[in-house]
Amino acid sequence: MDTRDKMASGKSAASRQYAPYLEADWGFKNAWYPALFSDELKENEVKGVTMAGHEIALRRAKGKVHALQDRCAHRGVRMSLKPTCLTDDTITCWYHGFTYGLADGVLKTIVASPDDPLIGKVRIRIYPVEERAGIIFVFVGDADYEPVPPLTSDLPINITDDANAVPHILDEQVYVRGIHRTGDSNWRLAVENGFDPGHLLIHWDNVIVAATDRRMGLGARPISEDAIRVIDEPNGPKGMMNMYNTRGYKFFMENTVIGMKARGKKPYYARTSVFLPGLLLVEHWPIPGWAQYEWYVPTDDKHHEYWEVLVGRCRNEEERREAEYLYDHFLEPLGLRDFNNNDLFAREAMQPFYEKHDGWNAETLCAFDDATIVWRKVAARFNRGIQEPPHAGGAR
Amino acid sequence: MPDSTAAPYRITLRFEDGVEKEITVEPREFVLDAALRQGVPLVHQCRSGSCSTCIAQVVDSAVETAPNRATSLIAAEISEGKRLLCSSYALRDGAVRLAYPSTLIYEGEAKILSAIVSGIEWPTASVAKLTLELEGACSFRAGQYVRIKVPGTGEWRSYSMASLPRDLAKLEFLVRIIDGGLMSEYLRSRCKPGERIDVEGPMGAFVLRESRAQHIFVAGGTGLAPILSMLDTIRRRSGARPKMLLSFGCASEQNFFYRDEVELRGWWMPQLRVILSADRVDDPASSLIRGTPVDALGDERVDDPETVAYLCGPPPMIEAARRRLVALGVKPGSIYAERFVAS
Repeated sequence: MDTRDKMASGKSAASRQYAPYLEADWGFKNAWYPALFSDELKENEVKGVTMAGHEIALRRAKGKVHALQDRCAHRGVRMSLKPTCLTDDTITCWYHGFTYGLADGVLKTIVASPDDPLIGKVRIRIYPVEERAGIIFVFVGDADYEPVPPLTSDLPINITDDANAVPHILDEQVYVRGIHRTGDSNWRLAVENGFDPGHLLIHWDNVIVAATDRRMGLGARPISEDAIRVIDEPNGPKGMMNMYNTRGYKFFMENTVIGMKARGKKPYYARTSVFLPGLLLVEHWPIPGWAQYEWYVPTDDKHHEYWEVLVGRCRNEEERREAEYLYDHFLEPLGLRDFNNNDLFAREAMQPFYEKHDGWNAETLCAFDDATIVWRKVAARFNRGIQEPPHAGGAR
Repeated sequence: MPDSTAAPYRITLRFEDGVEKEITVEPREFVLDAALRQGVPLVHQCRSGSCSTCIAQVVDSAVETAPNRATSLIAAEISEGKRLLCSSYALRDGAVRLAYPSTLIYEGEAKILSAIVSGIEWPTASVAKLTLELEGACSFRAGQYVRIKVPGTGEWRSYSMASLPRDLAKLEFLVRIIDGGLMSEYLRSRCKPGERIDVEGPMGAFVLRESRAQHIFVAGGTGLAPILSMLDTIRRRSGARPKMLLSFGCASEQNFFYRDEVELRGWWMPQLRVILSADRVDDPASSLIRGTPVDALGDERVDDPETVAYLCGPPPMIEAARRRLVALGVKPGSIYAERFVAS
């Protein structure tokens, strides 16, 4: 065996540990994912989304959001292509008028065949929905998964080890705003970019860093067991946290080989953690006291929906107006757009290697990639199932 | 024993999925033969009373083992009313219950296929991991087995798949190596990747059922193979995973194999607890429990009355496990077993 072969076989023993993660091209199933912001679905509106291969129609009726299989039982067309709603408690397929109850998905009538024997016998799937903090969450996965776990188990933990802890998205008196857009990469590449302790080079010259004179290192490397905390809350969130507040990580402020030094004078503290089914929390980002949440919702095996949501405290109307001003003129343009555009660029740049050149086996990970491996192992253990592709019956 | 020379009897075959089929059994005709004659392909293999594949639960004593016929049934099974249909006559009109769904006998009927040896590895000196690549289409259920013709001989040996139906055309087997065994000799001295080999299957009613209740698996030695296939099936199937316990044991710590593979399943599924044991443990610091996988169950609590158990290993282990599990509160009808006899 030459050195290269030895490295390859060592790699394969390690990757065996997280083999289920490598199976999850289409994401983890039986999990809560954000589908739309609340203000993207107005009363009586119908919109179609695709999450982990599941095509889902969302309809708001009398204020309540319903999620149904977006595929008519009759000829399989997506009902959201041409929304047709004739009553408050049904959704009708625009083609032949198959009309399903929003509450149970049962076929209530067919416009073109009112005495059809199928009526009452055929049904389409309905999905559990929760609308919280201005976001519509859908539980995506097996129709027979019981019991459906609480939404909180698929959100970040409450931060308790920080005197100035950032708010949790479900807290009272918070301001929540954000954007979502499509990323042309597998969802895992997006997750792994999010908490990567070694990727600061892509942010080195970002406007928000320069404008705030932040002292941001060139990178960080775990040097003790304190670096990474595995999160395993009973019936709660599962994931891991990069403990940048301990001495577990060594920060590099200078690289003498190429003569590069971290710029900025103001010390800055932020911390990243990642949770199942694949979401990120960045504490004190883009500015102290705020939290950035990111979801990388698998669309299919080559695309994800990139959600960037900011959560800040706001106790009254005046603070709400200030938060809105800050969000519109600073946090979104310089944080969610200018800064995170670099992350999206990096993930999309990884895609061809992982898709076409066996990247999961051919990658060469280095010292700061411990966090990536811990995340993969944690994800392999705590997922509630591997989503099968739709063509293998995964989205029935 | 009552004489069975009277008129033919009607026996109802009750499958697990509620389907019933009635057959007529002639005097001095084995029930299995009668079923096959009437086009009901019941699960079976050896037709001589030794493999226990055709086991059935007799209702109202309508079926009894034929005089002078020895079977591999253990005492506990006989007292529960289980009989082997390949070796039993009908005594009166009545019924037998089969612990598998009627669909099992119609999907994936056994056929002979050609395969290519794609790999042979040695997890330990006495166990070979044989990987074949099937050339024809085939399907099976986790827990089933195939017969493999030992190349260069006319002999067939039975091995359960350790791999998953979803991984077809790949088939993986764990083969216990014994001195003088035909397959053992072949694997040790002649087997080479690329070689062609005949396979007949799938066979067997030892299949994973749909159940959300607690699962207990007891595996001895290469009896681990079908259990691995079941565990991996549970990991990938629809719905929430049940609470599971696997007790896996080998004869000696020295020949203990697949520890990593078994522990990985425990890592991948927090619902699964793994207990490892060996009859002979020399290292006092060993983390293996000393004893059989049945001993290792200890006073395990069985809280769920619907608990199901799958046992695979040598006959004495099966018998001991069955007794222990019943004592722990598992219903006899919820215990499924596959015997492994090395040959």
